[in-house]
Amino acid sequence: MAERFLVGSFSEPGPMLAAVATLRSAGVAIHDVFAPYPVHGLDQAMGIRRSRLPFVTLLAGLGGLCFALVFQYYTAVFDWPLDVGGKPENSTLAFVPVCFELTVLIGGLGTVGAFLLRARLFPGKPEQLPVLGVTNNVFAVVTHAPAGGNEGPLARRIMLENGADEVDEREGES
Amino acid sequence: MSAGGIHTSDPTTGAAPDTLPATRWIEGTPSLHRITSDISRPMEAKPGRGWWICFALASAAVLNLLGMVGYLFAKGIGIWGLNNAVGWAFDITNFVFWIGIGHAGTLISAILLLFRQKWRTSINRSAEAMTIFAVMCAGLFPLIHMGRPWDAFFIFPYFPNQRGPLWVNFRSPLVWDVFAISTYFTISLVFWYLGMIPDLATLRDRAVGGIKKFVFRILSLGWNGSQRTWSRYEIVSLVLAALATPLVLSVHSIVSTDFATSLVPGWHTTIFPPYFVAGAIYSGFGMVLTLLIITRQTMHLERYITVNHLEAMAKVTLLTGSLVGYAYATEFFNAWYSGNVHERFHFINRATGPYAWCFYLMVLCNVLTPQVLWWKRARRSVPLLFVVSILVNVGMWFERFVIIVVGLHRNFLPSAWGMFYPTVFDIGILVGVFGLFFSLFLLFIRALPMIAMWEVKGVSNG
Amino acid sequence: MSRRPTCDEAMPRGDGHDAPLVQIGLPTGARSTGFEATRRDVLSLMGFSLGAIGLGAGCRAPVQHAVPLPSASTEMVPGVPNLYATTCGGCGASCGLVVKQRDGRPIKIEGNEASPLTGGGTCAAGQASVLSLYDDARLRGPVWLGNAVSWSEIDRHITTMLGGGGSDRRAIVLLSPTINSPSTRAVLADFRTRFPGFRHVVHDPMSLAALREANRLAFGAAVVPHFHFDRARVVVALEADFLGTWLAPVEFSRQWARRRTADGTRGFHVQCEAGLSVTGSNADLRLAVAPSELGTVAVALLAAVARRVNDAGLAALNATGLGQTAPHAAAIDRVADALARHRGESLVVTGSDDVATQLVVGKLNALLGNIGGADGPIDLARPSLQAQGDDAGVPALIDDMNRGAVSALIIWGANPVYDHPDGLAFRKALGRVPLTISFADRRDETSAHVHALCPDHHFLESWGDAEPVSGHFSLAQPLIAPLHDTRAGAESLLAWAAPAAGAAGAGKPADHRLYLRDFWRRALYPRAATAAGFDDFWERTLERGVVELPGPAVQTHAFAGDWQGAVRDIVTRASRAGTDHGGYELALHETVGARDGRHANNPWLLELPDPITRLTWGNVASIAPATAAALGVATGDVVTLTTETGKLELPAFVQPGQDRRTISVAVGYGRWAAGKAGDGIGANVYPLARVENGVRRYAARVNVAKAGRRARLAPAQTHFSMEGRDIVQSLTLASLEHEHEHEHEELPNLWRERLHGAHAWGMSIDLDACTGCSACVVACQSENNVPVVGAEQVRKSRIMHWLRIDRYFDGDGEDATTVHQPMMCQHCQHAPCETVCPVLATTTSSEGINQQVYNRCIGTRYCANNCPYKVRRFNWHNYTANDDFPYNMTSPLGRLVLNPDVTVRSRGVMEKCNLCVQRVQLGKNQALLQRRPLADGDVATACQQACPTGAIVFGDLADAGSRVSKLLAGRRAYRVLDDLGTRPNVGYLKKIELKEKA
Repeated sequence: MAERFLVGSFSEPGPMLAAVATLRSAGVAIHDVFAPYPVHGLDQAMGIRRSRLPFVTLLAGLGGLCFALVFQYYTAVFDWPLDVGGKPENSTLAFVPVCFELTVLIGGLGTVGAFLLRARLFPGKPEQLPVLGVTNNVFAVVTHAPAGGNEGPLARRIMLENGADEVDEREGES
Repeated sequence: MSAGGIHTSDPTTGAAPDTLPATRWIEGTPSLHRITSDISRPMEAKPGRGWWICFALASAAVLNLLGMVGYLFAKGIGIWGLNNAVGWAFDITNFVFWIGIGHAGTLISAILLLFRQKWRTSINRSAEAMTIFAVMCAGLFPLIHMGRPWDAFFIFPYFPNQRGPLWVNFRSPLVWDVFAISTYFTISLVFWYLGMIPDLATLRDRAVGGIKKFVFRILSLGWNGSQRTWSRYEIVSLVLAALATPLVLSVHSIVSTDFATSLVPGWHTTIFPPYFVAGAIYSGFGMVLTLLIITRQTMHLERYITVNHLEAMAKVTLLTGSLVGYAYATEFFNAWYSGNVHERFHFINRATGPYAWCFYLMVLCNVLTPQVLWWKRARRSVPLLFVVSILVNVGMWFERFVIIVVGLHRNFLPSAWGMFYPTVFDIGILVGVFGLFFSLFLLFIRALPMIAMWEVKGVSNG
Repeated sequence: MSRRPTCDEAMPRGDGHDAPLVQIGLPTGARSTGFEATRRDVLSLMGFSLGAIGLGAGCRAPVQHAVPLPSASTEMVPGVPNLYATTCGGCGASCGLVVKQRDGRPIKIEGNEASPLTGGGTCAAGQASVLSLYDDARLRGPVWLGNAVSWSEIDRHITTMLGGGGSDRRAIVLLSPTINSPSTRAVLADFRTRFPGFRHVVHDPMSLAALREANRLAFGAAVVPHFHFDRARVVVALEADFLGTWLAPVEFSRQWARRRTADGTRGFHVQCEAGLSVTGSNADLRLAVAPSELGTVAVALLAAVARRVNDAGLAALNATGLGQTAPHAAAIDRVADALARHRGESLVVTGSDDVATQLVVGKLNALLGNIGGADGPIDLARPSLQAQGDDAGVPALIDDMNRGAVSALIIWGANPVYDHPDGLAFRKALGRVPLTISFADRRDETSAHVHALCPDHHFLESWGDAEPVSGHFSLAQPLIAPLHDTRAGAESLLAWAAPAAGAAGAGKPADHRLYLRDFWRRALYPRAATAAGFDDFWERTLERGVVELPGPAVQTHAFAGDWQGAVRDIVTRASRAGTDHGGYELALHETVGARDGRHANNPWLLELPDPITRLTWGNVASIAPATAAALGVATGDVVTLTTETGKLELPAFVQPGQDRRTISVAVGYGRWAAGKAGDGIGANVYPLARVENGVRRYAARVNVAKAGRRARLAPAQTHFSMEGRDIVQSLTLASLEHEHEHEHEELPNLWRERLHGAHAWGMSIDLDACTGCSACVVACQSENNVPVVGAEQVRKSRIMHWLRIDRYFDGDGEDATTVHQPMMCQHCQHAPCETVCPVLATTTSSEGINQQVYNRCIGTRYCANNCPYKVRRFNWHNYTANDDFPYNMTSPLGRLVLNPDVTVRSRGVMEKCNLCVQRVQLGKNQALLQRRPLADGDVATACQQACPTGAIVFGDLADAGSRVSKLLAGRRAYRVLDDLGTRPNVGYLKKIELKEKA
């Protein structure tokens, strides 16, 4: 169902931060904030908790490590053991570099993959910009403003007080 | 803005309060929009004559490269100057050289990110691009140096393996290379692309439609600057940086094992990994300096790539250059201290043999040249830095040549001693690859934002 | 199969001559009316097509009468090699051979172990002679006045011109090198009965005429004695390269090696020579002596020995006091001591071209009692027949030709226009002879100017026999029916002698085989004290190849030469030399590769690095370092050599050990009509020699001047010093006694030993027995299809030999010492090459062989870089189907020599010695078939089989009882670069220093 939002555009990050802080303390549900670059402290202001993506890295990395170890051991010891320079079939030390590389490779790719999934970023996805210029020089605060609720006016007041250039009302899918 | 808990939690700029004002890394205080338009200009304006001249030269070299590699595949490695005594020369020299070049990019984008160095912001994008292109150039050589390049796929443990249970030799440093280089290339590419997504979105929104907008829309994956995405994005960048840092150290360490694990005098030495890494960063910074000094002039980006950037890089150059010089000295000491007749002979031959001139050229370029950078005025003089950066590149190429060829041409059995004389094909391919590198870079600065807008914006507004 | 078709049925007879019957002709499948193809047909068809690929039209397999060895199978089974005994035609030495034949074509020369002379050894030239069979430059058939004709036609022309015989007194002259074939001598006798004016002139390019003449004067028999170096405790050689090129090097090497024992009975070998020869490089004591001083040294030696054996008759000699004035006086005294200590068991030999010197040496041997006796070192009674050259012959012949006294000249195997100092005069004289005939196999320098070219077979295509040493006979049988329309020389002579002999069927050539067999029945069989019938005797001899049939001894008397006269002659000449002591002397010598130049179109020999200079593709002027410094000449500078008889430009080569006053140049190069490979390689130095009172001189006064140009040599080795590394190790006999010195501690193993299969193949190389003769190098090239790459690639140090012989000098003066070290893959058990190969293209086999997998190799060359012995060889180019490399591998005919058991490597892959794994496999299979374990010695590598001194021993290290295990466990054993921990399976036996004797 179509939902109603308030979109406040700021041209400076400072006031925007202040507005967001006040909005949250006033209990207005902030849908999201859009900015041309990551504004420091906005996470805390919005109360976004730290991403758990590093755990994905850990798991993927371990996966890569195990795969590398098992694969090298299998090819060198089981599948066709050969006398290479008189070295033992299981030349573990010589296997270390490949283990490390695969750990990094699979760990890294896994993380990025997870990120794209979680952030729902994919080629050809239509960008949904609250206002034009959020990728250039505009900071936009978007709050939920259900019809007839009092959050709407409250939020609009707070944003204007904090120096929003303009605040207007939108309808759209959340 | 209110400090406090924010800094500790925010990785990108969580520097101690006493950090120099961010503006040091940008001249003046341009508005966000100004930054966007300044950086987008090279992509939107028509290329100048300077660009065209460079591109013409570079692409001519590329054509030459194609022709010579074609002839190489038709005739065989015999058209090079290699022989029974010297099995590697220009080919592997170029390979190690280009891999080394790549390292500066990763260092700037990853390690400086971890160390919270703000000055990386306006140079990391082009440095990473340089890494990608350098690794592409390097990757060419393992392929074309093979006697039977059409069988190059033997070197991958591919699946299904039609050759029965015959896999590859995981004890061979060349196989380690395969994994190290492909990992390095992949991670660098991903890191580079990921860092570009917000800027691609910016360009998408600047584009007035047509093919350009379409392409940027595809590439920007629908980025819209949502803070929830930004916060994950920064975590991912940090993770990748944390992965890329040991990776970049591992890559040249592994490349160095091509030599260190052999028993050739002058190759068989344990200081190679750190020595090669230092050398790689050294040559890498040399190349970054060369490229940025050219582009900041031709693309009029002095405002974003300031003399302060150059000076900072000059300092790294001085440091790594001195490390390399120290490594040279250590090699000689070890040879003498080992008392090994073959080791000793190798280093005497290195300094007095038929290739001694290469050795002294290398010392001149790599050890003596950077010493001028002790003086601040030298570090801040753009022309001088340019000369230094060129000399560093020459010196580092010769370092690899000296290690490889002098090591091979006279070792254990005097009966098997020989000499290596480059042919026109050795030199032609060397030149051609430089052409390839520069054409790629020239195309890059026209097609993509060579400075990370969003990061500069972040820095400009503290 | 019921019966096999003969070639006569299988294919239209191309010409008049008798194609031999075949044992497997065309496979019946090919003409299968009324045949149903059996499995056997298919097999023979396969085998045939293999052979036929290159043979093209000539499908003819070996003749039925050839008896292979072992005699069990006379069948040609596809893929299974047959071995046939025959006799080498490579030079006058006529060594016994066993030739490996695969699918109807000879592919590999091996020595005949049954031969009491050579005992299975061969030389480089002999090994390479199989390639000459497939030489593209060979004539395809008879040529009359420049037009290809049929044999019948050319016979008609020649018989008419030879005339009615009887009445005609004008000379018909046969010019040939030494012919030691009894049956051929019989043919010549027949020819003489038919043409009374017939004369035989023997011309050896490098002759021993002086020796024969001296023996005539001294002992009343113009013979070359049969030398027994193994019976001599002390050998003193004056300008005689008996281990490399002199008379019978293979036999002498074997004898000499028998004295290289590692105990008190070890022989003492002294060499006095101008240029460093293979023999000199192996001497225990070497004295650099200019050719003009050689006589003086001989006299001094005689004097010194005389003093020790206080022979009254020689008092006068001592008065001359020559012993003091001669060079190396001190050394000569020590040598005289050794000689005097070993009277009757010493041997002084000289290849000098000076009769006086030969006489003095003869006297010396007589004085020492070295001559005669059942086991004397010098056997005059049963002399060598390997060098019967008569130097006076050719000059006289030239006169006769110019006087028109020669009605017909038949040249058989000689090439005087090239290799005689008066070659030019000879060519002019040819024009004065009404009929000139040549049996040459190609249009060479001489045969290019004759009327009739009647090409002889290659020796691998023809029947024949030889008597290298009187009483020692050797049979030759064809390994393959003639590739081209050629005819045995003897057969030609018989054909022309036949008609007026009134024999039945005039005009039809007598079959050479039948003639030979008949001759043996008449002349030789009676001498065989055997109960067996002639047929058995014949078959057995054919199979064995050699037989000893003691004949009448040559009658000689005690030394009666005018040695005083000789001494006086030498002394006066020496004093004269002393007065006008001006320029330098030129000394001509043979090299193991080029020999006298007859193999000049053989790329294997052209690319064979000379054991001394290590140069390929050409000859040089060897100059002593001191002299070079004085002349301001460096290696590679072109110098002009001028003698009374000629002038010549050659690149200089600064040669340690070279006599200061002498410039040495190798003969055998500079041919201009040898063929594609051999033309214009090096310079022809023969014209600089001359004939002086009936004897050819191989030394002359020479002036040396810089030409101001530089030439690009093609060396296989550029650095001559061992740089103080103990690569070639040696020890003294004394130290051999002390045990403790020889406990060589085993380096600890980082990993647990890997288990081997049934065998662990290894090799031992005795550096004290290796002379550097390089037979093994060519044998390896022939066995393993090693490509020839040409001078330009050799210059780039890309020579492909799997087995090379490293040569190092200690010092660079006249007294420089030389060591040779065969170097091939050491088959390390901890091989550095294997660890670094990314694709597992090289690994250690379960039998300890470091093996290279060509079709897995991608050519990173990392293995070669990491090989401390630098024995791996990379295919920089495509050497097999590539116009840039016009050698045998790129010619359809030349490819016939390739060994089907060995892959021909493609471009871009690494290759190297694999211990002849194909021979190992064959040995194992044979043992398997005979249901017996593989015995030690069943398998011999190509290099081992070729080695005349038995320096190389291959075997199973897993079997503690094997020869190789024992040798490598011995006190002299060591591994090269042992401290690298590569653990090679190839080991070396240290050289023995005998310097303290000198």
